[in-house]
Amino acid sequence: MDRKLKNSIFKMLIWAAACVAIGILVFLITVLFYKGFQSISVDFLISESKNFGSEGGVFYQIIGSVLLTLCAAIISFPLSLGFAIYKSEYVKNKYLQNFTDTIIYSLNGIPSIIFGIFGLILFVNFFNTGVSWFVGGIILAIMILPTVILSSYQSINSIPNSYRENALSLGLTKWQVIKTVIFPRAISGGFTGLLLGLARAIGETAPIMFIATAFSGVTFPNGLFEPVSSLPTHILSLAQQATNPDALENAWGSSLVLILLVFSFSISAFVRRLQYSKLKY
Amino acid sequence: METAQKIIENISENKIHQHYISISNLNVSFGSQHILKNISLNFQKNKVNCIVGPSGGGKSTLLRSINRINNDDYNLIINGSILFNNEEILIKNKDLTKLRKEIGMVFQSPCVFPKSIKENVLFGIENHSKLSQAEKDSIVEENLKAASLWDEVSTRLNESAKSLSIGQQQRLCIARTLAVKPKILLMDEPTSSLDPISTEAIEVLMNRLKAEYTIILVTHNISQAKRIADELYFICEGELIESGSKDVLFSNPKKEQTRTYLFNGTCNC
Ligand SMILES: Nc1ncnc2c1ncn2[C@@H]1O[C@H](COP(=O)(O)OP(=O)(O)OP(=O)(O)O)[C@@H](O)[C@H]1O
Ligand SMILES: [Mg+2]
Repeated sequence: MDRKLKNSIFKMLIWAAACVAIGILVFLITVLFYKGFQSISVDFLISESKNFGSEGGVFYQIIGSVLLTLCAAIISFPLSLGFAIYKSEYVKNKYLQNFTDTIIYSLNGIPSIIFGIFGLILFVNFFNTGVSWFVGGIILAIMILPTVILSSYQSINSIPNSYRENALSLGLTKWQVIKTVIFPRAISGGFTGLLLGLARAIGETAPIMFIATAFSGVTFPNGLFEPVSSLPTHILSLAQQATNPDALENAWGSSLVLILLVFSFSISAFVRRLQYSKLKY
Repeated sequence: METAQKIIENISENKIHQHYISISNLNVSFGSQHILKNISLNFQKNKVNCIVGPSGGGKSTLLRSINRINNDDYNLIINGSILFNNEEILIKNKDLTKLRKEIGMVFQSPCVFPKSIKENVLFGIENHSKLSQAEKDSIVEENLKAASLWDEVSTRLNESAKSLSIGQQQRLCIARTLAVKPKILLMDEPTSSLDPISTEAIEVLMNRLKAEYTIILVTHNISQAKRIADELYFICEGELIESGSKDVLFSNPKKEQTRTYLFNGTCNC
C-alpha cells in the first residue's frame, strides 16, 4: 500500500471516531435539552419538591448541590495550593517527588464510591457526625484534590527557573519569592483546576449518597451536621420511580438543571484556559 | 615622617581596595563532578573585573558562588573561602538576603517580570522597604537614568516591560538591580543575547557604573574584554590559568595558554 492511501485511510478512521464521539454527545445533549425544557419552568426552579419528587420543583436540591460544591471548593483550594507550592518549591529529593506523584495519581484513580464508603466509616460512624452536608463537602474536596493540585502544580512548574533566580538575586527571601512570583500563578492555575474539579464534584452521586444527602423532606440545613438534598441523588431517586410519568418528567428537568450547572463550571474553566494560554511568562 | 604616614595609609587603602572580594582555595563540585579547582584570586574595587575562558570552564559557577545563588542546588559541594569586605561569605548561617542586596546579579538573558516597567524597577527594593509614592517615582527615575534607559521609556512607565526590546529589557534588569543599591554587580555574559548597538550601550554603561560599583563581568567575547576590562582573569577547565591587569595580559602574558586564548580564541589547556 502506498503512503498516500495509508494516510487517507488513517485520516478517515480518525474522522469517523471523532464523528461517533461528537454524535453521541450531540444526541445526548439534544434529548436532554428537548425533554428537559419541556418540564422545567421558573416555578420548577424555586419551589420545593413534593410527593417524593414527582411533584413540585428542585429548589432545595439546587441549594444542596451548590452548598456541597462550595464547601468542597473552600476546603480543597487552599489545601491544593499549599501542596502544589510545597511540591514544586520545597521537595528537592527525587524519591519524595515520585512519592508525591504516586499519591496524587492514586488518589485520582480511586473510584468515587470508595470515597463514599470512607466518609461513611470515618465520619458518620466513627466520629458519629450523622448524615451531614459538611462531611459531604469534605469528601468531595478530597476527591477533587488531585485535579486542583495538578493544575496548580503545572502552572507553577512552567515558571522558568530564571524568575526565581532573578527574584532571589534581588535579595528576596524564599517566602517573598513565593508570594510575589509563585503564588499568583498557583492561584490562576489552581482556579482552572478547581472549576474542572467542581464540574465533576457537582455531578457525583456515589460519594455523597450515604453521608450527606437525604432523599426527601429536607430544607435548609440548620448546622454543619445536617443532611441536604442534591440534584444527582434526587435524579437517582426519581429514576427509581420511573414507572410514574410525573417522576420521569421531573427527572429530565432535574438532569437539565444539573447539566447546566456542570457546563457553567466547565465552560468557565475552558475560557480561563484560553485566556491564560495567551498570557505567557 | 610624613611620607611614612602616607605609605601606611596607602597600604591600608590598597589592602581594602585589592581585597574587596578575595577568594582562596575555592573548590566547587556538583556531585562527583569537580568544576572549580583551587581557585584563588582577588577582585578589585571600582574596576571592571573580567573573567574570560572557554565554555564549560566554570565561569558562571564561580560567579554564582559569590552571591550564593546556587545555594539551593542540592548536589552542590563548595569549599574554600570567599571574603567580601573581610567577611566570610561561605559560612553556613550567612544571611543570604543581606548578601544578595549587597552583591547584585545580572543574568545572561534578561528576565523581566510580567508587570509594568515601573513595577519591574521597584520589584526588589519594594520588598525591602516601605516606600511612599514620591520615593517610588524618584527611585524609578534615578535608576532608569543610571541604566541609560530613562530617555527611551520615561513616557511609558506603566506599559508592560515585555513590550521593550531585548536590549532595553537587559538595561531594565540592570536598573532593577541598581535600585537595591548593591556594592558589587555580578554580570554573567550580559550582552551575549544582544545586538551590537545594545551591547555598546551596555558597555558604555559599565564603564560609567564602575565609578560607583565594583563590576565582575563574565564574557565570551575577547574583544569586549579588551574594550572594557580593567582586570582580567582567565579560567579554563576549572582552573585559574592567569590573572592580572588587562594591559599586561594582552601585551605580555606569562602563560602560553593565555596568549593562545586571547589571540586565537582557542584553548589548549
Ligand atoms: N547546577 C549544576 N549541576 C550540575 N552541573 C553543573 C551545574 N551548573 C554547572 N554545571 C557544570 O559545570 C560546568 C561548568 O559550567 P559553567 O556554567 O560554570 O561554565 P561556563 O564557564 O559559565 O560556561 P559558558 O561559557 O558556556 O557559560 C559544566 O560542565 C556544567 O555542566
Ligand atoms: Mg556561563
